[in-house]
Amino acid sequence: MLSTQMVNREALPEAQNPLGLNGIEFIEYVTSRPQALGQALELMGFRPIARHRSREVVLYRQGSMNLIINAEADDARVSASAGDQPVISAVAFRVRDAKKAHVRCLELGAWDGPAHAQAMELNIPSIHGPGGSRFYFVDRYDEFSVFDIDFVLIPTVDSKPAALAGMSYFGLVQYIGLERSADWLAFYEQLLGFKPIPDEQRFGILPKGKLMRSPCQQFLWQLVEPDPRVEQRDTRENLQRIGIGVPDVPAAVALLKARGIEFVEAEQLHPDDRGALTQGILGSLSFELVHKNA
Amino acid sequence: MIRGFGMDTITLAGSLESKLGAIKAAGFDQVMLSARDIVGHPGGVQEAVAAVKASGLRPTGFQVLRDFEGLSGHLHDYKVDIAKAMLEMCAALNCKVLLACSSTSRHATQDLDLIARDLRKLAMLAVPLGIKVAFEGLSWGRTINEFTAAWDVVCRADAPNLGLGLDSFHVFAAKTPLDAIETLDPAMIFLVQLSDFMWHETPTFEERMTTARTFRVFPGEGVHSEPLADLVLRLDRLGYEGDYSFEVFNDDYQQLPLPMVAQRAQRSAIWLNEEVLHRTRPLPLGLAQRLNPPPFTALVHF
Repeated sequence: MLSTQMVNREALPEAQNPLGLNGIEFIEYVTSRPQALGQALELMGFRPIARHRSREVVLYRQGSMNLIINAEADDARVSASAGDQPVISAVAFRVRDAKKAHVRCLELGAWDGPAHAQAMELNIPSIHGPGGSRFYFVDRYDEFSVFDIDFVLIPTVDSKPAALAGMSYFGLVQYIGLERSADWLAFYEQLLGFKPIPDEQRFGILPKGKLMRSPCQQFLWQLVEPDPRVEQRDTRENLQRIGIGVPDVPAAVALLKARGIEFVEAEQLHPDDRGALTQGILGSLSFELVHKNA
Repeated sequence: MIRGFGMDTITLAGSLESKLGAIKAAGFDQVMLSARDIVGHPGGVQEAVAAVKASGLRPTGFQVLRDFEGLSGHLHDYKVDIAKAMLEMCAALNCKVLLACSSTSRHATQDLDLIARDLRKLAMLAVPLGIKVAFEGLSWGRTINEFTAAWDVVCRADAPNLGLGLDSFHVFAAKTPLDAIETLDPAMIFLVQLSDFMWHETPTFEERMTTARTFRVFPGEGVHSEPLADLVLRLDRLGYEGDYSFEVFNDDYQQLPLPMVAQRAQRSAIWLNEEVLHRTRPLPLGLAQRLNPPPFTALVHF
Protein backbone atom coordinates (compact mmCIF):
# COMPACT_ATOMS: atom_id res chain seq x y z
CA MET A 1 0.00 0.00 0.00
CA LEU A 2 1.45 3.31 -1.02
CA SER A 3 1.20 6.00 1.52
CA THR A 4 1.12 9.70 0.76
CA GLN A 5 3.24 10.30 3.85
CA MET A 6 7.00 10.70 3.63
CA VAL A 7 8.42 8.12 5.99
CA ASN A 8 11.98 8.12 7.23
CA ARG A 9 13.77 4.90 6.37
CA GLU A 10 15.65 4.91 9.63
CA ALA A 11 14.11 5.28 13.06
CA LEU A 12 15.09 8.88 13.75
CA PRO A 13 14.34 10.20 17.20
CA GLU A 14 11.55 12.75 17.42
CA ALA A 15 12.91 16.24 17.93
CA GLN A 16 13.51 16.84 21.63
CA ASN A 17 11.70 20.16 21.51
CA PRO A 18 9.38 20.00 18.49
CA LEU A 19 7.71 23.40 19.14
CA GLY A 20 10.92 25.21 20.01
CA LEU A 21 9.38 25.88 23.41
CA ASN A 22 11.33 28.53 25.31
CA GLY A 23 9.65 29.28 28.63
CA ILE A 24 6.44 30.96 29.73
CA GLU A 25 5.56 34.36 28.24
CA PHE A 26 2.61 35.01 30.55
CA ILE A 27 0.07 33.42 32.85
CA GLU A 28 -3.46 34.77 32.95
CA TYR A 29 -6.01 34.88 35.76
CA VAL A 30 -9.66 35.67 35.18
CA THR A 31 -11.44 37.31 38.03
CA SER A 32 -14.61 39.18 38.82
CA ARG A 33 -12.62 41.21 41.41
CA PRO A 34 -9.67 42.64 39.49
CA GLN A 35 -8.78 45.33 42.06
CA ALA A 36 -8.61 42.84 44.94
CA LEU A 37 -6.48 40.47 42.89
CA GLY A 38 -4.28 43.34 41.75
CA GLN A 39 -3.64 44.33 45.36
CA ALA A 40 -2.72 40.75 46.24
CA LEU A 41 -0.34 40.55 43.29
CA GLU A 42 1.30 43.81 44.32
CA LEU A 43 1.95 42.35 47.78
CA MET A 44 3.67 39.49 45.97
CA GLY A 45 5.87 42.02 44.19
CA PHE A 46 4.08 42.31 40.83
CA ARG A 47 3.56 45.81 39.42
CA PRO A 48 0.82 46.96 37.03
CA ILE A 49 2.54 47.84 33.77
CA ALA A 50 0.04 48.19 30.96
CA ARG A 51 -3.65 48.06 30.04
CA HIS A 52 -5.17 46.25 27.09
CA ARG A 53 -6.39 48.58 24.32
CA SER A 54 -9.91 47.21 24.07
CA ARG A 55 -10.49 44.79 26.91
CA GLU A 56 -10.59 44.97 30.67
CA VAL A 57 -7.19 43.34 30.97
CA VAL A 58 -4.11 44.52 32.87
CA LEU A 59 -0.54 43.30 32.58
CA TYR A 60 1.46 42.88 35.81
CA ARG A 61 5.15 42.16 35.81
CA GLN A 62 8.18 41.54 37.99
CA GLY A 63 11.51 40.40 36.61
CA SER A 64 10.88 37.80 33.91
CA MET A 65 7.33 37.04 35.08
CA ASN A 66 4.40 38.46 33.13
CA LEU A 67 1.00 37.99 34.74
CA ILE A 68 -2.29 39.10 33.28
CA ILE A 69 -5.52 39.93 35.10
CA ASN A 70 -8.48 39.48 32.80
CA ALA A 71 -11.76 40.93 34.08
CA GLU A 72 -13.71 40.91 30.81
CA ALA A 73 -17.30 40.09 31.69
CA ASP A 74 -17.53 37.03 29.41
CA ASP A 75 -14.23 35.61 30.63
CA ALA A 76 -14.72 36.47 34.30
CA ARG A 77 -17.99 34.55 34.52
CA VAL A 78 -16.05 31.41 35.35
CA SER A 79 -14.49 33.22 38.30
CA ALA A 80 -17.84 34.57 39.49
CA SER A 81 -19.27 31.06 39.42
CA ALA A 82 -16.29 29.82 41.45
CA GLY A 83 -17.27 32.02 44.41
CA ASP A 84 -15.46 35.07 43.02
CA GLN A 85 -12.12 33.33 43.28
CA PRO A 86 -9.47 34.05 40.66
CA VAL A 87 -9.02 31.22 38.18
CA ILE A 88 -5.86 30.51 36.17
CA SER A 89 -7.36 30.75 32.71
CA ALA A 90 -4.38 30.65 30.36
CA VAL A 91 -0.68 29.99 30.02
CA ALA A 92 1.20 31.44 27.06
CA PHE A 93 4.21 29.46 25.91
CA ARG A 94 7.09 31.03 24.05
CA VAL A 95 7.70 29.02 20.89
CA ARG A 96 9.87 29.24 17.78
CA ASP A 97 6.94 29.77 15.39
CA ALA A 98 3.48 30.28 16.88
CA LYS A 99 1.57 29.33 13.74
CA LYS A 100 3.56 26.15 13.19
CA ALA A 101 3.25 25.20 16.86
CA HIS A 102 -0.49 25.72 16.69
CA VAL A 103 -0.93 23.71 13.49
CA ARG A 104 1.22 20.89 14.82
CA CYS A 105 -0.83 20.65 18.03
CA LEU A 106 -4.10 20.61 16.08
CA GLU A 107 -2.74 17.82 13.87
CA LEU A 108 -1.87 15.80 16.95
CA GLY A 109 -5.30 16.15 18.57
CA ALA A 110 -5.57 19.51 20.35
CA TRP A 111 -8.79 21.52 20.33
CA ASP A 112 -8.51 24.91 18.69
CA GLY A 113 -9.06 27.85 21.03
CA PRO A 114 -11.41 30.66 20.00
CA ALA A 115 -9.98 33.82 18.47
CA HIS A 116 -11.21 37.11 19.86
CA ALA A 117 -8.85 39.72 18.50
CA GLN A 118 -10.32 43.12 17.66
CA ALA A 119 -9.21 45.24 14.72
CA MET A 120 -5.44 45.86 14.72
CA GLU A 121 -4.92 43.42 17.59
CA LEU A 122 -2.85 40.30 17.51
CA ASN A 123 -4.60 37.04 17.00
CA ILE A 124 -2.64 34.79 19.33
CA PRO A 125 -3.25 31.14 18.40
CA SER A 126 -4.36 28.89 21.24
CA ILE A 127 -5.50 25.39 22.13
CA HIS A 128 -7.68 24.09 24.94
CA GLY A 129 -5.99 23.17 28.19
CA PRO A 130 -7.55 21.55 31.25
CA GLY A 131 -10.86 22.72 32.70
CA GLY A 132 -11.68 25.45 30.20
CA SER A 133 -8.20 26.99 30.26
CA ARG A 134 -6.20 27.98 27.15
CA PHE A 135 -2.62 27.49 26.09
CA TYR A 136 -1.37 30.31 23.87
CA PHE A 137 1.60 30.21 21.54
CA VAL A 138 3.70 33.35 21.31
CA ASP A 139 6.74 33.79 19.08
CA ARG A 140 7.42 37.51 19.60
CA TYR A 141 9.12 37.98 22.91
CA ASP A 142 12.63 39.23 22.22
CA GLU A 143 13.01 42.71 20.78
CA PHE A 144 9.31 43.39 20.91
CA SER A 145 6.45 41.50 22.48
CA VAL A 146 2.73 40.89 22.11
CA PHE A 147 2.24 43.46 24.85
CA ASP A 148 3.73 46.20 22.65
CA ILE A 149 0.82 45.91 20.25
CA ASP A 150 -2.26 45.10 22.31
CA PHE A 151 -1.39 47.01 25.49
CA VAL A 152 -0.85 50.67 26.39
CA LEU A 153 1.78 51.41 29.04
CA ILE A 154 0.53 52.94 32.25
CA PRO A 155 2.19 56.39 32.31
CA THR A 156 5.21 56.93 34.57
CA VAL A 157 5.62 53.32 35.67
CA ASP A 158 8.83 51.39 35.27
CA SER A 159 7.94 48.81 32.64
CA LYS A 160 10.67 46.44 33.77
CA PRO A 161 10.53 46.23 37.55
CA ALA A 162 13.08 43.91 39.11
CA ALA A 163 11.85 40.73 40.74
CA LEU A 164 11.51 40.56 44.51
CA ALA A 165 13.87 38.03 46.08
CA GLY A 166 14.95 36.84 42.61
CA MET A 167 11.57 35.32 41.87
CA SER A 168 10.86 33.66 38.50
CA TYR A 169 8.33 31.16 37.22
CA PHE A 170 9.07 27.64 38.43
CA GLY A 171 6.00 25.88 37.05
CA LEU A 172 2.29 25.14 37.19
CA VAL A 173 0.31 22.77 39.38
CA GLN A 174 -2.65 21.13 37.66
CA TYR A 175 -5.37 19.26 39.53
CA ILE A 176 -6.69 16.25 37.61
CA GLY A 177 -9.35 13.59 38.09
CA LEU A 178 -8.81 10.22 39.70
CA GLU A 179 -6.62 7.84 37.65
CA ARG A 180 -6.05 10.53 35.03
CA SER A 181 -2.28 10.91 35.39
CA ALA A 182 -1.42 8.68 32.44
CA ASP A 183 -3.88 10.51 30.17
CA TRP A 184 -2.50 13.95 30.97
CA LEU A 185 1.12 12.79 30.84
CA ALA A 186 0.45 11.50 27.31
CA PHE A 187 -1.30 14.76 26.40
CA TYR A 188 1.62 16.99 27.43
CA GLU A 189 4.21 14.63 26.03
CA GLN A 190 2.45 14.34 22.67
CA LEU A 191 1.50 17.98 22.18
CA LEU A 192 4.19 20.01 23.96
CA GLY A 193 7.08 17.57 24.30
CA PHE A 194 7.12 17.54 28.14
CA LYS A 195 9.01 14.63 29.71
CA PRO A 196 8.14 12.93 32.99
CA ILE A 197 10.54 13.29 35.92
CA PRO A 198 11.20 10.18 38.06
CA ASP A 199 9.04 9.95 41.20
CA GLU A 200 12.13 10.10 43.45
CA GLN A 201 13.01 13.56 42.15
CA ARG A 202 10.90 16.24 43.77
CA PHE A 203 11.10 19.96 44.53
CA GLY A 204 9.51 22.16 47.17
CA ILE A 205 7.31 21.09 50.06
CA LEU A 206 4.32 19.75 48.10
CA PRO A 207 5.72 16.79 46.19
CA LYS A 208 2.48 14.90 45.48
CA GLY A 209 1.54 13.54 42.08
CA LYS A 210 3.42 13.33 38.80
CA LEU A 211 6.00 15.84 37.62
CA MET A 212 7.06 16.76 34.10
CA ARG A 213 9.73 19.07 32.72
CA SER A 214 9.31 21.29 29.68
CA PRO A 215 11.65 20.45 26.79
CA CYS A 216 13.24 23.92 27.17
CA GLN A 217 14.18 22.90 30.75
CA GLN A 218 12.76 26.20 32.00
CA PHE A 219 9.69 25.13 33.96
CA LEU A 220 7.93 22.13 35.52
CA TRP A 221 4.39 20.89 35.36
CA GLN A 222 2.85 18.95 38.25
CA LEU A 223 -0.27 16.76 37.99
CA VAL A 224 -2.13 16.06 41.23
CA GLU A 225 -4.92 13.49 41.50
CA PRO A 226 -7.42 13.56 44.37
CA ASP A 227 -6.70 11.24 47.27
CA PRO A 228 -9.09 8.35 46.58
CA ARG A 229 -9.61 7.75 50.30
CA VAL A 230 -10.96 11.20 51.03
CA GLU A 231 -11.90 12.90 47.79
CA GLN A 232 -13.86 10.26 45.86
CA ARG A 233 -16.25 12.73 44.27
CA ASP A 234 -13.71 15.41 43.47
CA THR A 235 -13.39 15.16 39.69
CA ARG A 236 -12.38 18.79 39.17
CA GLU A 237 -9.60 19.44 36.66
CA ASN A 238 -7.99 22.86 36.61
CA LEU A 239 -4.77 24.83 36.76
CA GLN A 240 -4.52 25.15 40.51
CA ARG A 241 -1.55 27.36 41.32
CA ILE A 242 1.66 28.93 40.13
CA GLY A 243 5.02 27.81 41.44
CA ILE A 244 7.62 30.56 41.82
CA GLY A 245 11.30 29.74 42.05
CA VAL A 246 13.56 31.64 44.46
CA PRO A 247 17.26 31.21 45.21
CA ASP A 248 16.76 31.61 48.97
CA VAL A 249 13.37 30.49 50.32
CA PRO A 250 13.70 31.74 53.93
CA ALA A 251 14.86 35.18 52.72
CA ALA A 252 11.96 35.37 50.25
CA VAL A 253 9.48 34.30 52.95
CA ALA A 254 10.79 36.97 55.33
CA LEU A 255 10.57 39.63 52.63
CA LEU A 256 7.03 38.69 51.62
CA LYS A 257 5.87 38.41 55.24
CA ALA A 258 7.08 41.94 55.82
CA ARG A 259 4.89 43.01 52.87
CA GLY A 260 1.84 41.33 54.41
CA ILE A 261 1.80 37.92 52.73
CA GLU A 262 1.01 35.08 55.12
CA PHE A 263 2.29 31.53 54.77
CA VAL A 264 0.86 28.16 55.73
CA GLU A 265 2.63 27.32 58.99
CA ALA A 266 1.23 23.96 60.05
CA GLU A 267 3.11 21.08 61.58
CA GLN A 268 2.95 19.03 58.39
CA LEU A 269 3.39 21.96 56.02
CA HIS A 270 5.45 25.04 56.78
CA PRO A 271 8.16 27.12 55.12
CA ASP A 272 11.60 25.53 55.01
CA ASP A 273 14.67 25.69 52.80
CA ARG A 274 12.93 23.73 50.03
CA GLY A 275 9.80 25.83 49.72
CA ALA A 276 6.74 27.51 51.19
CA LEU A 277 3.04 27.96 50.44
CA THR A 278 1.18 31.24 50.84
CA GLN A 279 -2.08 31.29 52.78
CA GLY A 280 -5.17 31.52 50.63
CA ILE A 281 -5.59 35.02 49.26
CA LEU A 282 -9.13 35.91 48.04
CA GLY A 283 -10.26 32.38 48.89
CA SER A 284 -8.10 29.64 47.43
CA LEU A 285 -5.54 31.67 45.46
CA SER A 286 -2.09 30.76 46.64
CA PHE A 287 1.47 30.84 45.41
CA GLU A 288 4.07 28.21 46.06
CA LEU A 289 7.69 29.18 46.53
CA VAL A 290 10.23 26.58 45.50
CA HIS A 291 13.97 26.61 45.94
CA LYS A 292 15.70 27.17 42.60
CA ASN A 293 19.37 27.74 42.07
CA ALA A 294 19.95 31.23 40.77
CA MET B 1 -30.15 -4.02 41.09
CA ILE B 2 -28.29 -5.86 38.34
CA ARG B 3 -24.65 -4.84 38.59
CA GLY B 4 -22.08 -5.05 35.84
CA PHE B 5 -24.56 -5.47 32.99
CA GLY B 6 -26.51 -2.83 31.12
CA MET B 7 -28.91 -2.50 28.23
CA ASP B 8 -28.38 -0.45 25.09
CA THR B 9 -31.01 2.08 24.09
CA ILE B 10 -30.72 0.86 20.49
CA THR B 11 -32.59 -2.34 21.42
CA LEU B 12 -35.77 -0.55 22.41
CA ALA B 13 -38.40 1.42 20.49
CA GLY B 14 -39.93 4.66 21.68
CA SER B 15 -38.79 7.81 23.41
CA LEU B 16 -35.57 8.15 25.37
CA GLU B 17 -37.53 8.60 28.60
CA SER B 18 -39.55 5.43 28.08
CA LYS B 19 -36.39 3.47 27.22
CA LEU B 20 -34.63 4.70 30.35
CA GLY B 21 -37.73 3.94 32.43
CA ALA B 22 -38.03 0.37 31.11
CA ILE B 23 -34.31 -0.31 31.62
CA LYS B 24 -34.45 0.97 35.17
CA ALA B 25 -37.67 -0.90 35.96
CA ALA B 26 -35.98 -4.15 34.88
CA GLY B 27 -33.37 -3.60 37.59
CA PHE B 28 -30.43 -2.31 35.54
CA ASP B 29 -28.29 0.51 36.89
CA GLN B 30 -26.54 1.46 33.64
CA VAL B 31 -27.36 2.21 30.04
CA MET B 32 -25.35 2.35 26.82
CA LEU B 33 -26.47 5.53 25.06
CA SER B 34 -26.68 6.23 21.37
CA ALA B 35 -26.15 9.63 19.74
CA ARG B 36 -29.46 9.17 17.90
CA ASP B 37 -31.36 9.14 21.20
CA ILE B 38 -29.78 12.39 22.19
CA VAL B 39 -29.97 14.41 18.98
CA GLY B 40 -33.38 12.95 18.10
CA HIS B 41 -34.92 14.05 21.37
CA PRO B 42 -37.86 16.40 20.69
CA GLY B 43 -36.60 18.74 23.43
CA GLY B 44 -33.10 18.85 21.97
CA VAL B 45 -29.77 17.69 23.35
CA GLN B 46 -30.13 19.58 26.64
CA GLU B 47 -33.39 17.90 27.55
CA ALA B 48 -32.01 14.51 26.55
CA VAL B 49 -29.03 15.07 28.84
CA ALA B 50 -31.41 16.08 31.64
CA ALA B 51 -33.51 12.96 31.06
CA VAL B 52 -30.46 10.71 31.38
CA LYS B 53 -29.37 12.47 34.57
CA ALA B 54 -32.89 12.29 36.01
CA SER B 55 -33.06 8.54 35.31
CA GLY B 56 -30.26 7.87 37.78
CA LEU B 57 -28.83 5.33 35.33
CA ARG B 58 -25.07 5.44 34.89
CA PRO B 59 -24.03 5.81 31.25
CA THR B 60 -21.96 2.77 30.25
CA GLY B 61 -20.77 4.58 27.15
CA PHE B 62 -21.77 6.54 24.10
CA GLN B 63 -22.03 5.22 20.54
CA VAL B 64 -20.91 5.42 17.88
CA LEU B 65 -18.15 7.14 15.95
CA ARG B 66 -17.77 5.42 12.56
CA ASP B 67 -15.12 5.40 9.85
CA PHE B 68 -12.81 7.80 11.67
CA GLU B 69 -9.39 6.39 11.00
CA GLY B 70 -7.23 6.24 7.89
CA LEU B 71 -8.65 9.20 5.97
CA SER B 72 -6.67 12.13 4.64
CA GLY B 73 -7.19 15.72 3.54
CA HIS B 74 -10.72 17.10 3.69
CA LEU B 75 -12.20 13.69 4.59
CA HIS B 76 -10.01 13.55 7.68
CA ASP B 77 -10.89 17.13 8.66
CA TYR B 78 -14.58 16.34 8.25
CA LYS B 79 -14.30 13.28 10.48
CA VAL B 80 -12.40 15.24 13.13
CA ASP B 81 -15.34 17.66 13.27
CA ILE B 82 -17.74 14.73 13.69
CA ALA B 83 -15.55 13.20 16.39
CA LYS B 84 -15.41 16.48 18.30
CA ALA B 85 -19.20 16.80 18.23
CA MET B 86 -19.54 13.19 19.48
CA LEU B 87 -16.99 13.83 22.25
CA GLU B 88 -18.83 16.96 23.37
CA MET B 89 -22.14 15.08 23.59
CA CYS B 90 -20.41 12.23 25.38
CA ALA B 91 -19.00 14.68 27.94
CA ALA B 92 -22.35 16.46 28.37
CA LEU B 93 -23.88 13.09 29.28
CA ASN B 94 -21.07 12.41 31.74
CA CYS B 95 -20.21 9.32 29.69
CA LYS B 96 -16.68 8.14 30.27
CA VAL B 97 -16.37 5.91 27.18
CA LEU B 98 -16.84 6.75 23.49
CA LEU B 99 -17.22 3.75 21.19
CA ALA B 100 -15.41 4.05 17.86
CA CYS B 101 -15.87 1.35 15.20
CA SER B 102 -13.27 0.33 12.66
CA SER B 103 -13.58 1.89 9.24
CA THR B 104 -15.47 0.27 6.39
CA SER B 105 -14.43 2.98 3.96
CA ARG B 106 -12.60 2.20 0.74
CA HIS B 107 -11.22 5.73 0.89
CA ALA B 108 -9.28 4.92 4.06
CA THR B 109 -5.68 3.78 4.09
CA GLN B 110 -4.84 0.23 5.15
CA ASP B 111 -1.51 1.28 6.62
CA LEU B 112 -1.71 0.19 10.27
CA ASP B 113 0.67 2.87 11.50
CA LEU B 114 -1.36 5.63 9.89
CA ILE B 115 -4.53 4.11 11.35
CA ALA B 116 -2.84 4.07 14.76
CA ARG B 117 -1.74 7.69 14.34
CA ASP B 118 -5.35 8.78 13.73
CA LEU B 119 -6.60 6.81 16.73
CA ARG B 120 -3.95 8.43 18.89
CA LYS B 121 -5.17 11.82 17.70
CA LEU B 122 -8.74 10.84 18.62
CA ALA B 123 -7.51 9.79 22.07
CA MET B 124 -5.73 13.13 22.56
CA LEU B 125 -8.90 15.00 21.58
CA ALA B 126 -10.68 13.01 24.29
CA VAL B 127 -8.17 13.73 27.09
CA PRO B 128 -9.33 17.22 28.16
CA LEU B 129 -12.91 15.93 28.28
CA GLY B 130 -12.00 12.99 30.51
CA ILE B 131 -13.16 10.42 27.96
CA LYS B 132 -11.72 7.03 27.06
CA VAL B 133 -12.05 5.75 23.51
CA ALA B 134 -13.00 2.09 23.01
CA PHE B 135 -11.96 0.98 19.53
CA GLU B 136 -13.94 -1.93 18.15
CA GLY B 137 -13.24 -4.05 15.09
CA LEU B 138 -16.44 -4.44 13.06
CA SER B 139 -16.56 -7.90 11.48
CA TRP B 140 -17.08 -6.15 8.14
CA GLY B 141 -14.41 -3.53 8.72
CA ARG B 142 -12.22 -3.11 5.65
CA THR B 143 -8.82 -3.34 7.33
CA ILE B 144 -9.62 -4.00 10.98
CA ASN B 145 -12.27 -6.72 11.21
CA GLU B 146 -11.18 -8.86 14.15
CA PHE B 147 -10.45 -7.89 17.76
CA THR B 148 -6.91 -9.13 17.35
CA ALA B 149 -6.25 -6.57 14.61
CA ALA B 150 -8.02 -3.88 16.65
CA TRP B 151 -5.77 -4.70 19.60
CA ASP B 152 -2.72 -4.45 17.35
CA VAL B 153 -3.50 -0.87 16.29
CA VAL B 154 -4.50 0.10 19.84
CA CYS B 155 -1.04 -1.06 20.96
CA ARG B 156 0.63 0.79 18.09
CA ALA B 157 -1.25 3.98 18.97
CA ASP B 158 -0.09 3.61 22.58
CA ALA B 159 -2.37 6.16 24.27
CA PRO B 160 -3.53 5.48 27.83
CA ASN B 161 -7.12 6.49 27.09
CA LEU B 162 -7.38 4.41 23.91
CA GLY B 163 -8.42 0.82 24.53
CA LEU B 164 -10.41 -1.99 23.06
CA GLY B 165 -14.15 -2.33 22.64
CA LEU B 166 -15.05 -5.99 22.35
CA ASP B 167 -18.35 -7.07 20.77
CA SER B 168 -19.21 -10.75 20.98
CA PHE B 169 -21.21 -10.57 17.75
CA HIS B 170 -18.17 -9.58 15.72
CA VAL B 171 -15.99 -12.14 17.49
CA PHE B 172 -18.34 -14.97 16.53
CA ALA B 173 -19.22 -13.63 13.08
CA ALA B 174 -15.53 -13.41 12.20
CA LYS B 175 -14.81 -16.69 14.02
CA THR B 176 -11.77 -15.25 15.77
CA PRO B 177 -10.30 -17.96 18.05
CA LEU B 178 -11.07 -17.13 21.68
CA ASP B 179 -7.55 -18.12 22.74
CA ALA B 180 -6.48 -14.67 21.55
CA ILE B 181 -8.33 -13.16 24.53
CA GLU B 182 -5.32 -14.15 26.61
CA THR B 183 -3.11 -11.73 24.68
CA LEU B 184 -5.21 -8.75 25.81
CA ASP B 185 -4.49 -6.45 28.74
CA PRO B 186 -7.70 -6.45 30.82
CA ALA B 187 -7.10 -2.87 31.95
CA MET B 188 -7.15 -1.76 28.30
CA ILE B 189 -10.52 -3.33 27.51
CA PHE B 190 -12.81 -0.34 27.97
CA LEU B 191 -16.11 -1.96 27.04
CA VAL B 192 -17.54 -5.40 26.30
CA GLN B 193 -20.76 -5.62 24.31
CA LEU B 194 -22.62 -8.89 24.33
CA SER B 195 -25.22 -10.33 22.00
CA ASP B 196 -26.10 -13.65 20.47
CA PHE B 197 -27.62 -14.48 17.10
CA MET B 198 -29.54 -17.29 15.44
CA TRP B 199 -27.30 -18.31 12.53
CA HIS B 200 -24.35 -20.65 12.74
CA GLU B 201 -22.55 -19.16 9.76
CA THR B 202 -22.18 -15.59 8.51
CA PRO B 203 -19.43 -15.99 5.92
CA THR B 204 -19.96 -12.81 3.92
CA PHE B 205 -19.70 -9.21 5.07
CA GLU B 206 -23.22 -8.71 3.68
CA GLU B 207 -24.68 -11.42 5.90
CA ARG B 208 -22.79 -10.15 8.93
CA MET B 209 -24.12 -6.64 8.40
CA THR B 210 -27.74 -7.71 7.94
CA THR B 211 -27.66 -10.02 10.94
CA ALA B 212 -25.84 -7.50 13.12
CA ARG B 213 -28.29 -4.74 12.33
CA THR B 214 -31.61 -6.62 12.46
CA PHE B 215 -31.43 -9.97 14.16
CA ARG B 216 -29.23 -10.10 17.21
CA VAL B 217 -30.70 -11.54 20.40
CA PHE B 218 -29.76 -11.34 24.07
CA PRO B 219 -26.99 -13.58 25.40
CA GLY B 220 -28.42 -17.04 25.93
CA GLU B 221 -31.17 -16.64 23.34
CA GLY B 222 -29.23 -17.63 20.22
CA VAL B 223 -27.06 -20.45 18.97
CA HIS B 224 -23.78 -19.05 20.31
CA SER B 225 -24.65 -19.23 24.01
CA GLU B 226 -21.95 -21.78 24.75
CA PRO B 227 -19.08 -19.82 23.18
CA LEU B 228 -20.53 -16.59 24.59
CA ALA B 229 -20.39 -18.07 28.08
CA ASP B 230 -16.85 -19.20 27.28
CA LEU B 231 -15.93 -15.67 26.15
CA VAL B 232 -17.29 -14.10 29.34
CA LEU B 233 -15.52 -16.65 31.52
CA ARG B 234 -12.23 -16.07 29.69
CA LEU B 235 -12.57 -12.30 30.19
CA ASP B 236 -13.36 -12.89 33.85
CA ARG B 237 -10.28 -15.12 34.24
CA LEU B 238 -8.16 -12.53 32.43
CA GLY B 239 -9.18 -10.02 35.13
CA TYR B 240 -11.64 -7.90 33.19
CA GLU B 241 -13.66 -5.91 35.73
CA GLY B 242 -15.40 -3.44 33.44
CA ASP B 243 -18.94 -3.19 32.16
CA TYR B 244 -20.89 -5.52 29.91
CA SER B 245 -23.64 -4.02 27.78
CA PHE B 246 -26.19 -5.82 25.65
CA GLU B 247 -25.75 -4.61 22.09
CA VAL B 248 -28.89 -6.19 20.66
CA PHE B 249 -30.13 -4.80 17.36
CA ASN B 250 -33.34 -6.71 16.63
CA ASP B 251 -36.24 -5.70 14.39
CA ASP B 252 -38.68 -7.82 16.39
CA TYR B 253 -37.71 -6.21 19.69
CA GLN B 254 -38.38 -2.85 18.10
CA GLN B 255 -42.03 -3.98 17.80
CA LEU B 256 -42.52 -5.33 21.31
CA PRO B 257 -43.61 -3.52 24.47
CA LEU B 258 -40.55 -2.13 26.24
CA PRO B 259 -41.08 -3.97 29.55
CA MET B 260 -41.21 -7.28 27.67
CA VAL B 261 -37.89 -6.65 25.94
CA ALA B 262 -36.27 -5.32 29.11
CA GLN B 263 -37.40 -8.44 30.92
CA ARG B 264 -35.62 -10.60 28.34
CA ALA B 265 -32.49 -8.54 28.97
CA GLN B 266 -32.96 -9.03 32.69
CA ARG B 267 -33.14 -12.80 32.30
CA SER B 268 -30.02 -12.69 30.20
CA ALA B 269 -28.17 -10.73 32.89
CA ILE B 270 -29.27 -13.18 35.55
CA TRP B 271 -28.18 -16.11 33.41
CA LEU B 272 -24.73 -14.59 32.92
CA ASN B 273 -24.42 -13.59 36.54
CA GLU B 274 -25.61 -16.78 38.15
CA GLU B 275 -25.24 -19.61 35.65
CA VAL B 276 -22.13 -18.47 33.80
CA LEU B 277 -20.07 -16.39 36.23
CA HIS B 278 -21.40 -18.00 39.43
CA ARG B 279 -21.13 -14.62 41.07
CA THR B 280 -21.88 -14.78 44.74
CA ARG B 281 -23.22 -11.25 44.88
CA PRO B 282 -26.93 -11.79 45.44
CA LEU B 283 -29.47 -10.13 43.20
CA PRO B 284 -32.03 -8.14 45.13
CA LEU B 285 -34.65 -10.02 47.01
CA GLY B 286 -37.74 -10.65 44.98
CA LEU B 287 -36.14 -10.11 41.59
CA ALA B 288 -35.79 -13.81 40.94
CA GLN B 289 -39.42 -14.40 41.97
CA ARG B 290 -40.62 -11.60 39.74
CA LEU B 291 -39.26 -13.38 36.71
CA ASN B 292 -42.19 -14.47 34.69
CA PRO B 293 -42.26 -18.00 33.34
CA PRO B 294 -40.92 -19.62 31.31
CA PRO B 295 -37.69 -20.09 33.24
CA PHE B 296 -34.81 -18.65 31.31
CA THR B 297 -33.03 -21.93 30.81
CA ALA B 298 -35.88 -22.95 28.51
CA LEU B 299 -34.84 -20.18 26.14
CA VAL B 300 -31.24 -21.15 25.94
CA HIS B 301 -30.33 -23.07 22.82
CA PHE B 302 -27.26 -25.09 23.52
